Formats: sequence, structure tokens, C-alpha cells
Amino acid sequence: MITHWAILSGIEGNLRALEAVLKDLQRQRPPVTTLYVLGDIIGLKGQNDAVVQRLQMPDLEPLEPQICIGWWEEQCFNLFGVGMSGEVPELIAEQGEAAVGQLWESISRSSVQWLRSLPFGFHELDCLLVHGSPVSASEVLTPATSPALLCDRLIRADANQLFCGRSGELFDCWISAEGLTAEVRTLDGTEQQAFELPQRRLIGVGSVGRQLGIASYVLYQPGSNYLKQCVIRY
Amino acid sequence: MKYAVMSCIHGNYEALNAVLLDIDRQRVDQIYCLGDLVGYGPYPNAVVEMIRSLDIPTCQGCWDEDIVMGLNACECSYPSQLAEKRGRRAHEWTNRMLHPEVREYLAQLPMTLRQGNLCFVHGSPNSQHEYLLPSMHGFAALERVLCAQADVLFCGHTHIPYVRHLRDGKIRVQHSSANPQEFQASVKMIVNAGSVGEPRHGRPNATYVIYDTDTQEVTLREVPYDYQKTCAAILEQGLPPIFAWRLARGMEFAERADDPHHVCQR
Repeated sequence: MITHWAILSGIEGNLRALEAVLKDLQRQRPPVTTLYVLGDIIGLKGQNDAVVQRLQMPDLEPLEPQICIGWWEEQCFNLFGVGMSGEVPELIAEQGEAAVGQLWESISRSSVQWLRSLPFGFHELDCLLVHGSPVSASEVLTPATSPALLCDRLIRADANQLFCGRSGELFDCWISAEGLTAEVRTLDGTEQQAFELPQRRLIGVGSVGRQLGIASYVLYQPGSNYLKQCVIRY
Repeated sequence: MKYAVMSCIHGNYEALNAVLLDIDRQRVDQIYCLGDLVGYGPYPNAVVEMIRSLDIPTCQGCWDEDIVMGLNACECSYPSQLAEKRGRRAHEWTNRMLHPEVREYLAQLPMTLRQGNLCFVHGSPNSQHEYLLPSMHGFAALERVLCAQADVLFCGHTHIPYVRHLRDGKIRVQHSSANPQEFQASVKMIVNAGSVGEPRHGRPNATYVIYDTDTQEVTLREVPYDYQKTCAAILEQGLPPIFAWRLARGMEFAERADDPHHVCQR
């Protein structure tokens, strides 16, 4: 059986978009064997608790969704006082003051508790799957990001493929680096060094729920490195 | 211009005095300090008062930050539970001993200092807690200098002085069907000032660096001092004896976190 992953992100509480994508997944051939959801399950698109419950439903099997936290989940943890910080400056800066009350009202404590059990990301085969970057769920990586920063994040990823969802964009880009020489002098002598970064891949998995009426995600076959970008209207 | 750059004094007044005397003899134009004035050592107040009295531009180190903000780094910052226990004891002792005005001074220290194309940080431009080791992947090191928007990045935190020249790095980004973008880095330099008060380069001598802006030459300085005096004071103050033991040896690999790039989400 071919290993076939569906990787999505950014549902943002948009249950209709999620249902449309799940329906689309059922039509895929070869069949999807694993479903990765790279965070931003919740947001301000209306039905956070319903989306959380939908992802917990047994009728998704055999997909066994692998779900990690995203930027919205981190804002939610901070808002409910169970995060790294008791404040939400990022939420206010990005979504405005009103978002604080809206997010608070839109999700139950039991959903927050379940979200807190989710990991930061997944290291599977030679792939790292995270919401933002290996550094944080807040960081946005796209092909337009500074090349040196992309290089650093791919070195930290310790993987050939880095999947991320924070930007909400679909993209597929390859990064390589070569020719860097370094000389290190210490009190005890001098050492010459040479560095390269063999070709690595950065993949943006799109967004299921951010844009009303249009959902995007990717399909990936680890055995062949085949990647398909999917855009559906609902 | 000649700049002397020092770091990681760690409450070691004897070592600081010896280094300042050596700097006097080198006829420098300006001294910079990269933080960690306190922690481990027995004279935190005296060290801060000396730095303040000489009006030395100083950035905030990880110990300085922890004393001000509270010790809330995760266990990943320590190589072992024993090291964590020792660190906490030293933190509590330092916290008890500090004068209020010294604490205020530490609180207002900036994370970064700049002088033209030079940038001064304690650990890295990202965090006071990140180690820029000489073995760090060259392209990762290059990114740290570039994100500091500098040509020369001065750092400390590792307690081992080094100069690292980075040359000729080329990065290629190929996005779908678009033309590949190529980025060519210019020559960059990372200078680690080592440690005045808690050296870890295998010898007990204090270390610091001198940078000449005209020739771009870096001199690594090693200064002998009476470390036995500091060791005796560590024991007298009831600080963990292992601090004295490793100070007397310039112990390598001491207290370094398992993951040098780990930065606690605070």
C-alpha cells in the first residue's frame, strides 16, 4: 500500500471548509493513509468547538489525524492563562482588540484542554511538519523570506522536507547553499571549515478555512516525494 | 579605534581588576561589556559598581536577565539536574546579596549595543541564552550576523574566546517555475570575547578581546590573576564548592545546555 499523506492547516473554525476537504480526501486515489493537520484548527471563522469535535470523531479513521498546535492555539492558551505568557499582544496586533473577546467566547474549556495535549509538530521519515517554523508557531516562512533565515530554519529542521502552514499559502521551493568557508581562531590554534547545505525542500500547505469559499491543502507521497497542491471550492 | 570587549565577569572582582589593568596597558579607546556581570561569583555588587563607575557600555546577559525577571528558564537550559540545582542555589544567593540600585542597573541594560557596522550581544541576536559555538553550522552562524545587520558580531556566553571569519557563502532558492534567486554573502566575522570571571578554555586565566577598527584585527587576550582568592571567597560565601574547583581549572564543557540553540519560550 502506498503511503499517501494529506497535509492541511488553517481551518480556523471553518467547519464547512473542513467538511469539503474531508470529502475531497475520500475521493483521492491512491487513498490517503495519514492526515496531518498543522495547527490553526481554531480561529474566528465561527465554529471552533464543532471543528475540534469533528477532528475527534472516529469516522475519520483509518486516517488517524495527526494534529499539532498553531498560532491561533498559542493565542488561545495565553488568553486562557495556560500558555507561556498571560498576555496576547500578538493576537491584538494581528486581529485587533475585538478578537480577544471573540476568541474567548468561541471556545469551550474542554476544547482548550484537548488542544493543550497537542504536540508542537511531527518529525516523520525525513520530513518535519510544523505550523510556523522549527523556531516557533508564530514565524512565517515563504519563498520570499530572507534566504539566510530559510537556510538556518532548514538546518534546524534536520529534515529534507519542511512542511509549514502559517502563511496560508501554497508553495513548493528548494533551498541549497554552498561554498561557505570559515576560519576559526582560538587561543590554541586555527581551524579551517567548509559548509554546504544539500538541497532541502520547503512546502507551504495552504489554508483550509482562511479564505471563505476556497480551501487549499497538499497531498504528499514520501516514497516518491510526489507533491500535489489541491485547491477546492465549496 | 581600538575597542576592548569583555564578557561574563560573573561576580569575579579579582579577575575584573586584572583585566582592566591589562586593558589600560593596551591603550584602547573604548571598552564594551557583553553582560553576565553577576552569577556564580562572590562579588556581584562590587563588579557592577566597577562597571558603572567606569561608564562602560554594557548589554544584558542571561544571568542579569534571570536576576531581574526571575529564574523561569526550563530544565533544557542545564546539562543535568545537578547543574540545575547548583544554578538555582547560585541564583538565590545572588538574588539575596544584590543591592537594589544594582538590580535596577541590571534591569535597564539593553539586549544589543551598536557601533557602526559592529553589533554587541551577550548570547546571540535572538536571545541572551543562545550559544554561538565555533562549531555551529556556518550558514546558521552567517544568519545570526545578517539578522544583526552587522559585519562584525561580538558575543560571549560560551566562556571560550574565538574569532570566526565567514566567507563566500552562496544560497540558492528555487521556487516552482520561477527563476532561481541567488544570494551571495559578503565576509562576516563573529568574535567571542570569552570570559573574564569564569573562563572555560581549559586554563584559569581571564580572557577578553581587542578589536582594531582600522585593521579589523582581533587580538585574543589571556590574563593571569590570583584566582585562588576568588576560589576562597566562593567557599567562604557558601556557594557550591564545584564553582571554585572548576574556576581553578578553567574547566571546559561546564554547565553548557545540551542544545546550544535551545531558547526557552518565556
